[in-house]
Amino acid sequence: MARAKAEAQQTTTGMTLIVMVGLAIVFLLFMAFLNVVKSGNVLNETNLLFAALIFYAGAGALYLGFGVTGVESYVKFASLATSAGLVANTAAIAHRWYEAGHPPFSSVYEMLLSFVWTLAVLTLVVEKKYGVRVIGTVTMPVAIVGVVLMQLLRTEVHPLVPALQSTWLHVHVTLAMLAYAACALSFALATMFLIQDKMKTETFLAITSSCTVAIYAAVVLTRFEKWGGLSLVAWNPDSKSEVFISKGVRLFVDIPDLGWLMTLALLVVASPLVFYALSRWKKDDSFLTLANRAVFLSILLQVMALSMFLVRAHDGRYSSLDADGLFPTSLAASPFILSGLVGGVFISLLYLLLLWRRPDLERLLPSSDNLDRITYKTISLAFPLLTLMIASGAYWANQTWGSYWSWDPKETWAAITWLVYAGYLHMRITRGWRGRRAAYFAILGFIVVMFTFFGVTYLLPGLHSYA
Amino acid sequence: MAGDSRTIPHRVWRTIASIQTGVVLLILVVILAAVGTIVLQRPVTDPDEMQRAYSPAALRILDKVGLTDVFHSWWFLGLVLLVSISIVAASIDRFPNSWRYYSRPYKYPDEGFRRASHPQKLLAVADEESGLVAAERALHSLGYKPERVVHENNFSVFAERSRISELAVYIVHASLLLIFFGTVVDGIWGWRGTLNLNEGQTSNIVELRDGTTRTLPFAIRCDAAGQENYKDGTPKKWWSKLAVVRDGRDLLKKEIVVNDPLFYSGVRFYQSSYGPNGKVDKLMLVAAPSKGGEKRELGLAVNDTVPLDADTTVRFAEFFPDYAAQDGHVYRKSNDLENPAAHLIVTSKSSGKEFDVWFPEIEGIADNSKAPYFLEATDLKMGYFTGLQVSHEPGQWGVWAGVVLMVVGLAFVFYVVHVRIWVVPVLDLQTGKHSLWIGGSVNRNRDAFEERFDTLVAKVKEELKTMPTASRGEKVAVVAGN
Repeated sequence: MARAKAEAQQTTTGMTLIVMVGLAIVFLLFMAFLNVVKSGNVLNETNLLFAALIFYAGAGALYLGFGVTGVESYVKFASLATSAGLVANTAAIAHRWYEAGHPPFSSVYEMLLSFVWTLAVLTLVVEKKYGVRVIGTVTMPVAIVGVVLMQLLRTEVHPLVPALQSTWLHVHVTLAMLAYAACALSFALATMFLIQDKMKTETFLAITSSCTVAIYAAVVLTRFEKWGGLSLVAWNPDSKSEVFISKGVRLFVDIPDLGWLMTLALLVVASPLVFYALSRWKKDDSFLTLANRAVFLSILLQVMALSMFLVRAHDGRYSSLDADGLFPTSLAASPFILSGLVGGVFISLLYLLLLWRRPDLERLLPSSDNLDRITYKTISLAFPLLTLMIASGAYWANQTWGSYWSWDPKETWAAITWLVYAGYLHMRITRGWRGRRAAYFAILGFIVVMFTFFGVTYLLPGLHSYA
Repeated sequence: MAGDSRTIPHRVWRTIASIQTGVVLLILVVILAAVGTIVLQRPVTDPDEMQRAYSPAALRILDKVGLTDVFHSWWFLGLVLLVSISIVAASIDRFPNSWRYYSRPYKYPDEGFRRASHPQKLLAVADEESGLVAAERALHSLGYKPERVVHENNFSVFAERSRISELAVYIVHASLLLIFFGTVVDGIWGWRGTLNLNEGQTSNIVELRDGTTRTLPFAIRCDAAGQENYKDGTPKKWWSKLAVVRDGRDLLKKEIVVNDPLFYSGVRFYQSSYGPNGKVDKLMLVAAPSKGGEKRELGLAVNDTVPLDADTTVRFAEFFPDYAAQDGHVYRKSNDLENPAAHLIVTSKSSGKEFDVWFPEIEGIADNSKAPYFLEATDLKMGYFTGLQVSHEPGQWGVWAGVVLMVVGLAFVFYVVHVRIWVVPVLDLQTGKHSLWIGGSVNRNRDAFEERFDTLVAKVKEELKTMPTASRGEKVAVVAGN
């Protein structure tokens, strides 16, 4: 009886969410339409991208709703919204391609455009073909972050420098995007496997908290300035580029007090981890309850830190330690801090989803055996793609720089990624590694992929300065 | 391999060939390669920057252990060599087994194998022959080529597909070794350097990375070079017209651009940069006799002397890319093309007089207006050089062959499945009833195969129905455990 009532209630709340998301989409599209009418320019890339963002956001909300409540009809509308977003995204790519005269792979912005597109396609494929319907709960928020990042990054069409004018470049980057998207998928599937494999919820707590701690620790350690400031790269709004003092040296501005907030956030996001460690050490589960409460607090602080960051770094002029005068900055100047902060909130929310709705999730996800198998399948797709990506890159380098392998950091890390997945395949095929160990390996592989994609570009110097 | 498992050579072999050793070595390679991307590397970093980044003591230690040039250090190369040995050993260790599998296919499953086999199915049939024929037809219709295996007093059927898949992993390992081999060949016999040519210049001397030079058995001449820009001024294209010259003859001509090099006798020439060389190619002038007469256009390179008429000549004496004038003297401030000045001398033979003509007209020293000819500079054509990267990589063919082989191998490893199907007639001695045992096996992707196996069984059943003697053969017995 109670069950039936709960189900009935679920259906009604189910409808409410769909109606709400639908209304939000209609409202946002209408507002966008007003804007378009005012500016008189309908089919430009920004509008298309904005439409894609609206649809992806709607899809993400519905997928999340599905993850939390398990109402079937959400998925139907979610994939509908994803498809609509995909259409807009495709149009944006086509527009860009037409404008630039080359496929959109030459800058971080253009690669994100293609990456989000691939992610949406793969989401639909995995959902329809393999029946992993919650996949959108993970991939759509990633797509949304991608589109938001794109809005912030520069969007002018840059002409290609001579080294980039090669068919091999397009082959290389297309393969890279496909391979990385497949790796991202294997990561999501491996995580789902761990859920189905009855990995303890508190272990996820430890992992998610470690991620957020790592994010805030990285921000505080690299950007905390004397007297509580946070240093950010200065931004020239006219040329839409970072400000350089000399070749390769960026000008940093100092936003007062934001450093303290970040430090505070670091302490609070670290607290669930501390409580978790205590519970393990004292063998006392009551600490876990405390840890879960601390997660709420950490989300609260993370949201605060994020909103303060958005408000302060969005515009305004700040002093610099390296030069006299006030300099502007912009969110576009710090895409990685921004995506880190957004990602932190997202990871913590995913943990909450697991904490509250684990039984539902377990019911919705395919069996652990299936997930294990699909993870292997995506990797057996990703590995040949990685091989081809490295080979085409080497061929291109040989045509352009006269050497197929010069050990530049990006190349080296691509090779490392390849080796990690090669290790996974050997362990799986010859040693029969299944289940958890294989899942950990798949997750490690994706971490290395992320480092190769983002870390190398921004942390390590090299020839791959184009992207 | 062979031999007593307790002998020391055998144990050493086991260790080298084991997958654990391979994985430990790979982890080491990964760690050291990662270190090589974090510590600044000498070959790609300015010495000044190295000094700035590390304290002298730290730098000395880093240099000593080779961490400032990880990828050329003996221990990294040694490690890669060990990985190669491990791959070879592991392949040799496992190959005989796979080869046996490959060269002597297991065509008739014995009873023990049949009991453990999965998936399998037992179908009741009227007699042996009709059952086997039905199975053969079913296999044919699914694209297999079944063969009859002859035993002492009866037959069985065997069919398989893509046996090569068993050897695919060796293709991948061989391809990796081929790539290593190519890079080692390049490391030993390959070289890289640069060659800068002015337009019209011919040279056969390449400056190598380590500061030494290398003389080519042929020379390269640059006939022309240029740059095209986008509207916003960023470079769009660099090109050079090159010719290969040997014994005074042009053997090959090609216009190269950034992604399209010139290749001649194992040496590649890549367009890498382009720019002014600071020298004047030609100064364009218009000359008109001061007394009136016809105007004339002429172009002069530095030190050129050109007659203006029977009596008068003009010589391009000096050029200053960036000049400064003081007290009747002109100095060269720098070699950048900032503030150029040209000095020409007009000589009249009959009067023996020389006139200094300056562009621009520098006061005090310029006789521009006194000269018998009125000269006007119309254009200054600067000389340009084209920067070429030159490389000799004899091992790259091994690398590309290895890459192709690896992609083929991986395609086989992941997507080509070795399928085996056995059909064995079984006679129950107690009841005297005939049945058909069908079993199958794949080397990967088992789940997908189970579906295909079910299709096959359904097909056999269908064929049995159409057999003339199969009127009672429709009853299906399912073996326990399936």
